[in-house]
Amino acid sequence: MAVPDVMSQLGRVAAGLGLVLVAGSPLQADELFDYGGYLSSECTTCHQLDGSYDGIPPITGWSEAHFVEVLKSYRSGQRNHLIMQNVARSLADEEMAALARFFAKQK
Amino acid sequence: MGRSLTRRELGRLAGAAGLAAAGAATMKARLALGASQAKVVVIGGGAGGATAARYIAKDAKDIEVSLVEPSPSYTTCFFSNLYIGGFRSFESITHGYDKLRDGYGVKVFHDRASDIDPAKKVVKLAGGGALPYDRLVVAPGIDLKYDAIEGYNESAAKLMPHAWQAGRQTQLLRRQILDMEDGGTFIIAPPPNPYRCPPGPYERVSMVAHYLKAYKPRSKILILDAKDKFSKQKLFEDGWVRFYEDMIEWLPAEITGGVKAVDAASMTVMTDDERFKASVANIIPAQQAGRIARLAGLADKSGWCPVEPATLASKLQPDIHLVGDAIIPGDMPKSAFSANSQAKACANAVRAALTGSKSFPPRFRNTCWSLITTNQGVKVGANYKATDEKIAKIEGFISPADETDEQRAATAQEANGWYRGITKDIFG
Repeated sequence: MAVPDVMSQLGRVAAGLGLVLVAGSPLQADELFDYGGYLSSECTTCHQLDGSYDGIPPITGWSEAHFVEVLKSYRSGQRNHLIMQNVARSLADEEMAALARFFAKQK
Repeated sequence: MGRSLTRRELGRLAGAAGLAAAGAATMKARLALGASQAKVVVIGGGAGGATAARYIAKDAKDIEVSLVEPSPSYTTCFFSNLYIGGFRSFESITHGYDKLRDGYGVKVFHDRASDIDPAKKVVKLAGGGALPYDRLVVAPGIDLKYDAIEGYNESAAKLMPHAWQAGRQTQLLRRQILDMEDGGTFIIAPPPNPYRCPPGPYERVSMVAHYLKAYKPRSKILILDAKDKFSKQKLFEDGWVRFYEDMIEWLPAEITGGVKAVDAASMTVMTDDERFKASVANIIPAQQAGRIARLAGLADKSGWCPVEPATLASKLQPDIHLVGDAIIPGDMPKSAFSANSQAKACANAVRAALTGSKSFPPRFRNTCWSLITTNQGVKVGANYKATDEKIAKIEGFISPADETDEQRAATAQEANGWYRGITKDIFG
């Protein structure tokens, strides 16, 4: 993930300061993408960012809704895979949304 | 269940980064005056070091990243058992640094770090150069304790390879197995804990057995263990009986006391009470953090390096971080997957400290796949979090003992996919 220029990034957080006191308010769209980019490094140990398939399914370019639905079905145990169930159980809804946003925009 | 990062927390993180941001502003002023960029030096180009170099370089264009690695290419210890068993080429487990250099702008120095001066913040190179740093990442991997088994030293390792640091040692062990007579004995001595790749010796047994069964079926494999139990033990033992029948014998430390001495010239391996003659002897001694880390005062009495769990910062020296096999990793095993995971948390912390970028809470994960046959794989893994005390396990998993062959085949295929994925994640 390319992290945007430091000053513009700080500026964006500063612009959000007015909302900081509202606990639990959702992340803004670009923050969601950035957070997804950070979280994605946990996925790219196995899933390739360029969408290549060498034994582990690619996860790039999916619709965000589908991406979240798949993760939630691992989290509930409806889909069966030891690693993906463990991964999904470690992700809150917003983290799933952030990852979905990030991977949807790859390739 | 994981928690999401609220706006409030992001604000707090940005606040915490405020001081660093002031530093970043100072750096911008320095840049304006023609001064140099912030400098990160990484020592060691393996799974931990190369990942740290790549992630810092990729995400922070205003940091100059230098990587110090003696070897022009890196042969992974992970998956080297498949080469030893004859199912992968040596080239397929060997990776260059050209993408890190050309694609990410990492300055690669094929030299050895001979010393670190933590006060002056300089890494000295064996070739005579010196690299100043603002932050240093040390990822030296393991050194073998050659004094742990009597008679087992570097020259003995040329006759009885450890093959636990991949490269010529791995090729030597492969050659010896190819040259071994049918009906010979392959002895392997797995090390005491803690060591690199806990299931590795037992996957090696599986891969050697697979080769011997096909080409030298009268041969035997004897495991003289320094331990009384090992990773994925039931899965391995079930698989050995099923696929290799009575070829493999495992003797735990409680029976033999472990290997105490060797005589490489006569290919003899000795425990307290017995002497074993080997056709091929794979002696894997006890381990410790790589030499440069111990030399620089980064290791404690255990021989390993204590770190702050969240940032991988050294507990013993300022402005130095450590990742990979050399650290005391809390509940994480020493593995390439762990090193890669730690390196990302470390890169995040280093970047935030030097540029004031957002620092997110670190996440840690590991999975170790092992092959029992070429198309039967098993796995064990967990996720972890940084507590004040250590990198602590959250939830783990292991392949069930009653899986179908189809599930085991899918795991073997997944292991191959992981190798491709992680080596791209490490080397670009």
